[in-house]
Amino acid sequence: MKKIAVILTILLLATSTLFATGTKEEGTKDVTLSVMWFNDANESDVFMNTIDDYLKANPRIKVDLQVVAYSEYDQKLKMMISGGNPPDVARISTNTLSVVVDSLEPIDGYVADIERVKQEFLPSMVAFATNKDNRLVAYPTEATANGMLVNKTAFDKAGIDLDVVSKTWTWSEWETIVKKVIAANPKMKYGLAVDFTPHRFSTIMYQFNGHFLNADQTAMEFNNKGTIETLNWFKHVHDSGLIPKSVWLGSENPAELFQAGLVAGHIGGSWNINTYNKNIKDFEWKVVNMPKAAINSSVPGGKFVASFKGSANKVEAQKLMAAFSDNAHNEAYCLDTFNLSSRVDATISYPSNSKDFEVFLSELKVTPAYTANEWKNTNLSKVTTYIKEQIVEVLLGNITAQQAVANVDTKGNTYFK
Amino acid sequence: MKKTVQGNFHQVKAPLLFLLPNIIIFVIFIIIPAIQGLRMSFTEWGVFTEPTFIGLANFKELFQDKVFWKTFSNTLVFSFFTVAMLTIYSLLLALLLNKNSIKGEKICRSLFYIPSLLSMITVGIAWRFILGDEMGIINYLLSSLGGESIHWLTNGNLAMASIILVSVWAGAGYYMVILIGGLQAIPLELYEAATIDGASPAKTFLNITLPLLKSTLLVVMVLATISSFKAYELIFVMTKGGPGYATKLIVQQVYQVAFLEDRMGYASAMSILLMLLIGLVTIVQFRITGRDQDYE
Repeated sequence: MKKIAVILTILLLATSTLFATGTKEEGTKDVTLSVMWFNDANESDVFMNTIDDYLKANPRIKVDLQVVAYSEYDQKLKMMISGGNPPDVARISTNTLSVVVDSLEPIDGYVADIERVKQEFLPSMVAFATNKDNRLVAYPTEATANGMLVNKTAFDKAGIDLDVVSKTWTWSEWETIVKKVIAANPKMKYGLAVDFTPHRFSTIMYQFNGHFLNADQTAMEFNNKGTIETLNWFKHVHDSGLIPKSVWLGSENPAELFQAGLVAGHIGGSWNINTYNKNIKDFEWKVVNMPKAAINSSVPGGKFVASFKGSANKVEAQKLMAAFSDNAHNEAYCLDTFNLSSRVDATISYPSNSKDFEVFLSELKVTPAYTANEWKNTNLSKVTTYIKEQIVEVLLGNITAQQAVANVDTKGNTYFK
Repeated sequence: MKKTVQGNFHQVKAPLLFLLPNIIIFVIFIIIPAIQGLRMSFTEWGVFTEPTFIGLANFKELFQDKVFWKTFSNTLVFSFFTVAMLTIYSLLLALLLNKNSIKGEKICRSLFYIPSLLSMITVGIAWRFILGDEMGIINYLLSSLGGESIHWLTNGNLAMASIILVSVWAGAGYYMVILIGGLQAIPLELYEAATIDGASPAKTFLNITLPLLKSTLLVVMVLATISSFKAYELIFVMTKGGPGYATKLIVQQVYQVAFLEDRMGYASAMSILLMLLIGLVTIVQFRITGRDQDYE
C-alpha cells in the first residue's frame, strides 16, 4: 500500500510538472532562437545592434547567433536541414535561396495580409523570395548589384575624367582608356579585377547578350553567341595583361589587389562599398557605370532572412524576422552596413557614397529581368562550379570557348532531366 | 577445471574486454559509415531528395568521367612525391637530430615539429601570402631586386610542386618524431661492434640503421600515404585545386560533387574507389617494405 502511494505521488508530481511546463511554453518560457549568419563585412554585429530594441521589448526572447564563413555556409546549412536540425532564422543570399527554397517556411501563415507584405519590397527581391507555389518564403533585407569600383586617383593622374568617359563607354573604349591609366601609374599593373565567381562573370556575359539557360528555363543554353564572345573577350583581356591571372588562375583576392592599388578597377558586389570605405585610405575611389558591350547590364541579387519548415521556434522566428524587416529596422541595418535596402519605402541618407549607391541602382534599372530568373534557378546553382572550372580551362588555353560551352551544356542538362 | 576457465578469461576474454571500447568506436564511426557509403554509392540521392537505387550506374559514369580521372592522376602524383619526400626528409631530420651531438638540437626538434601542430588552413593561408603571384612576399622581394615574378600558384606544374613542398614542410616534423623513436630503439651495441669492425658510416647506415628501422619506416610511409590521399584543406586554401584542374585531388572532387552539385550517390561511388585505392597502395607498401622486417 505504501509502495502504491509512493508511485502515485511520483506520477502526480511528474504530470503536474509536465502540465506546468506546457503552460509555460505557451506564454512565458524563455525562447532561444538559433540564428545563422554570414558576413560580407560587419553585418552580424549590425544585425545584433539593430534588433537590440526588439530583444529588450521581448525579454524572454534570446538570440544564439552563429556566424559561419560564407565559403562553408551552404554546406553547413544543407547538412543542418537534411539532418532535421535547421536554425530558427538564417541570413540567405540569392545563391543559397535557390538551393534551399523548398525547405523554407512560407510567411503567409504568420502575417495578417501577405499581399501587403509583398508590396513593401522591391518586386525583383520578392521574385527571388517566392517559391514554386508563389508563396513568399523569406524577407528581403538588402538588394545587391554587381558593378565597377574604380581607383579615381589613378584615372585623374592619367588626365581622364571618369564622369565623362564612363557615361557611355564600351569595353573596347575601356581597353584604350585603362592602358593610359596603367601607363600613368607606375605602381598599377592591371586594368581590372573580376571576382572569381560565375556570378561576376555573368555580369559581363549578360552585357555581351549571353545567357545560361533557354528562354523557358527548361534546359542549359550556355552554348550561344554572346557567351562564346564573352569567353573569348575574357581570355583576350587576361592574355593581354589587362586582368591579373592570379585571380582566376591563382585564387588571389581581387578586393585586396584593388585596395593595394594594383588594379584600376574591380567588378564586384555593392557590398564592397562598406569594405572599401573602411580600408582604403591611400587613394580616392568611386563607383562608375560599367562599359557596354551589346547592352548595359548588372546582375541583381540580394540578402534575405528566412525560417525553415523544421525550425524549432517558428512563431518566434517569424516575429523576429518581421520586426527586423520593418521600415525602421531595415533602414537602420542598411545604413550601418552600407547596403541598398530591399524595401520600396526606404529613404536612407548615407553619410557618404550616396552617389555610388545611385550608380548601382541605375545599373539595376537597365538590367534585363531574365538575369534574376536565371540566378534563381535551382539546377543552375548545381553547375556553377563546373562553369567556373570550364572558364578557367579556356583561360589556360586547354580548351576553346566552343568546347567549354558544349561541356557545360552537356553536364548542366543532366540536372534538367 | 576452474584454473582453465580463469586462464581462458585472462587470455581471450580480458583482452577483448579491454579492446571493446575501441572496437565500438571503430564500428560506429568507421565500419557503419563505410557500409552506408557503399550502400549510397548504388543510389541517386540529393541532400533534399529520397535515395533511388540505380545499381552500378554511378560506377559506370565514373569510368567515363574525365574530371574524376584527372583528379585521380593528380592524387597519385601528389601522393607519390609527397610520401617519398616526406619519408626521406623526415629520415634525414631524424638522423641529424637523434644523437644529441648538435648544439641546440632540442630547439631544432621543436622548430621542425611546430608546423605539424598548426592547422592546415593556417599553413595554407601563410604559404599563399608567401607564394602569391601579386601579393606574395617572395615575388615582392624578387621584383624589388629587379627580378621576374615566379608564377608559383598560377602555373600548373609549379602549383603542384608548391603544394607538395608545403605538405612536406608541414608534415615532416611529425614523422621525424616517429623515426627518432625508431632510431633510439636500435641497440647501441650494434653500432659499437660496427665501429670496432671499422665499418664506414654509410655501411653502418645501410646494414644496421636501415634494416632495423624498416618497420618504423613502413609505419611512416603508410601514415603519410593515407594522409596524402585525404589532403584537402591545405590545397583548397592555397590553390582551390587550380589553376584549372592542375592541383585538384579526388577528395576535393568528392566534396564538390556531394555538396555543390548535390549528388551524394555519385560522390559516394568516388569515395569507395578512393578507399579501394588507399587500401591497395597500403597493401603494396606492406608487401614491399614489410618483407623480412623481423630482425630481432
